Amino acid sequence: MTIIENNPELMAEDRNDEENYEGAQTPLRRFLSDFCEARLAVFGFFIILVIALVAIMAPFIAPTDPYNLATVSILDSRLEPGEAMMSGTIAYLGTDGAGRDMVSAMIYGLRISLGVGIGSGIIAMLIGISFGLLSAYAGGKIDSVFMRIVDIQLSFPAILVALVLLVTLGKGVDKTIIALVVVQWAYYARTIRGTALVERRREYIESAVCLGLSKNRIMFRHLLPNCLAPMIVVGTMQIAHAISLEATLSFLGLGMPQTEPSLGRLISNGFEYILSGKYWISVYPGIALLITIVSINLVGDRLRDVLNPRLQK
Amino acid sequence: MRALRQIGLAALGVAALSGPLHAADIVIGVRSEPSSIDPYFHNLGPNNGMLGQIFDRLNDWTPGMDKMFGRAASSWKPINDTTWEFKIKKGIKFHDGSDLTADDVIFSYERAGNYTGGNSSFRTYTKGKTLKKIDDYTVHIMTEKPYPLMPNDTTTVMIMSSEAKGTGGKNKGISAKDFNNGTAAIGSGPYKFIEWKKGDRIVLEKFDGYTGPIAQPWDKITFKFIKSEPARVAALMAGDVDAIDNVPTSDVERLKQNPKLSLSSGVSNRVIYLHMDQFRDSSPFVTTKDGQPMNKNPLRNPKVRKALSMMINRKAIVERVMEGIAIPAGQLLPEGFFGRSNKLQVEKFDPKGAKKLLQEAGWGDGFGLTIHGPNDRYINDAKICEAIGQMFSAQGIPTKVVTMPKNVFFKRASKGAKGGLPEFSFVLVGWGSGTGESSSPIKSLLATHDKSKGMGASNRGRHSDPRVNEVLNQALATVDDAKRGALLAKATEIAIGENTGIIPLHYQVNTWATRKGLKFDPRADERTTGYDYTLVK
Repeated sequence: MTIIENNPELMAEDRNDEENYEGAQTPLRRFLSDFCEARLAVFGFFIILVIALVAIMAPFIAPTDPYNLATVSILDSRLEPGEAMMSGTIAYLGTDGAGRDMVSAMIYGLRISLGVGIGSGIIAMLIGISFGLLSAYAGGKIDSVFMRIVDIQLSFPAILVALVLLVTLGKGVDKTIIALVVVQWAYYARTIRGTALVERRREYIESAVCLGLSKNRIMFRHLLPNCLAPMIVVGTMQIAHAISLEATLSFLGLGMPQTEPSLGRLISNGFEYILSGKYWISVYPGIALLITIVSINLVGDRLRDVLNPRLQK
Repeated sequence: MRALRQIGLAALGVAALSGPLHAADIVIGVRSEPSSIDPYFHNLGPNNGMLGQIFDRLNDWTPGMDKMFGRAASSWKPINDTTWEFKIKKGIKFHDGSDLTADDVIFSYERAGNYTGGNSSFRTYTKGKTLKKIDDYTVHIMTEKPYPLMPNDTTTVMIMSSEAKGTGGKNKGISAKDFNNGTAAIGSGPYKFIEWKKGDRIVLEKFDGYTGPIAQPWDKITFKFIKSEPARVAALMAGDVDAIDNVPTSDVERLKQNPKLSLSSGVSNRVIYLHMDQFRDSSPFVTTKDGQPMNKNPLRNPKVRKALSMMINRKAIVERVMEGIAIPAGQLLPEGFFGRSNKLQVEKFDPKGAKKLLQEAGWGDGFGLTIHGPNDRYINDAKICEAIGQMFSAQGIPTKVVTMPKNVFFKRASKGAKGGLPEFSFVLVGWGSGTGESSSPIKSLLATHDKSKGMGASNRGRHSDPRVNEVLNQALATVDDAKRGALLAKATEIAIGENTGIIPLHYQVNTWATRKGLKFDPRADERTTGYDYTLVK
């Protein structure tokens, strides 16, 4: 085994050769064409784009500001879909028990759900990656200690840990994100450690070690890029998971404050009225939540298929 | 359904054998679980309601709280200015077969008055009173000053058996645990304690040796704890329970139209009101409009408090939040109760007047506020907080709304800040007068906070006015009912009318629902007592 043969740059060249052989595709193109083979996933991706756009543009799109107590009035409460509010704005999906226009409340709610889901996902991923990589690369005692922590963390139901945390931390976006990061980082750490353990025995890492590169450089410049595929898949799934977890916590009355309801909180508020026939307070946010999570999962499923070398034709 | 079948069987039994009429079993779905079976652990509505079925009190109230009747006491009268004589009924048996005597009464009042480790005590009712046994069936209660409200106070403390055995330790060697597992839960009430499965149910059984004034329409009463509002309603509609309490206001209209159910509702003696921080120059949750801390506290100015009261549209709260099931309040007790003021009216919704008053007080530009409240204690509590937040915010007082479960809320609202002071600046709470007249809320909510005198115990805003204290103390020592009533009214007029020491919002109206064929007389003290359910034909 020579150092030259295992040089990652040379490996890259090899791969390029392979691709040239398959028909002059860049990896990105191949990935895209693979991904687009599944229509449903493309559809899911499209929906996510729309939802994200709506969420980002919320203050410009929403007919009213549902979080501004000065403009929301209980005199508008529980209007049926299509009725006009005092301000003259038509509540196309009705209003909730506090007099918030459901359309606006859902748009802002989506913003919170997506923000919390993606925000906590990214932070948890960064933390998980750092711990997982270090664990895999260092091995030995560090690995044991980290992985036992991960074991302990994973042995508790996520909802339980999040509940306890939120009860102690209080309410708010930041606190919800902290709670969700704490519950999620272990998944990322465990996943990347598994991949990294396989990768670090590869020759290119050995060669990098022999070249005397620093540990950090090896870990983040050589090991990490080769472990990213499963992270993308886990990340997508975890974001969907985080969104539903946030909704669950809000449904239970934790997470977001009462005057800034997320989708879960809206569903929970409407639950009180559902027996008396005021279905719209629960049902519409429920549908919005369902569509969001299903879309993300569709994309995540497809990503898993595309990025998993074993499933490739 | 089971109950129905048993009624049917019972009817058959009567027809065929002409034997004694067998009552049936009843299952009641209730919202709040008591925190203990120990009668002195926690002076809390759900505890007092549940345990009053197991333990007798010297006196008790009819459901409407309009009439007091003797439960363990056969008669009571003042024998001089500072001594009340209570005669105890002969032949009252405890559930273990022993007799109820003066010893048990004295034992109970001592344990209640010296209870340690509980959540909130009965000391308000025992402080400054000395009990003396005259003979087995006569007790004298002595006070320092004339105390006409003594019979009212005896409707609160329950009587337990002095022979109850515990596992040792403080509180006369009997711990709350000994009650919760049943060993010490020996009362003389119409129903015996059978079991308590925490979070699930409490089962009571008819006590055959009961000879008192309370009816025993059921052989077995099962209380199922169903905290979730829709779940409780669903349980009733599915027939899992025969009756429920605290029917959510949003469901009342629809349930009324259900031919299989019958509903009853009544005004409670509980007023929902707001406390305002009147003792700190810099109150933690009163800020500038953009949320910065201030070293001035506008809530100390009575004009500001009055203005805030005028900003609240009580009619909108009652109609939109309570769905019409509540009564706007202008003082501490609803009509029909003793010690009310005839002059105090419900504060009118007047945004312009409020604005003007704020300007006069020098706060025309407004300030920032956070309203804190429980979200699982009173009817629609969290929603009321939000509605008030909306009203203030729309009128130039940007308001944040923070609600939390009652277990956390009350601890913080009463003593969450440094030095055991109230933590919040502006809180929503409720108060039901246990004594059925206005002296107890004035004493607890509006008198100057003084632990040693048992005054202002729940005065979380620390309203303080020597005039109120003086008139109240005078009233407490006035034997003549009419004069006392007038003094209590005067104290209320100063504390609420002039000072706006608290802002009353509304009186709760409670609704109970049963399947057809059952009846429940609504109770003004909000208690859901099994023996008040009766069969109707």
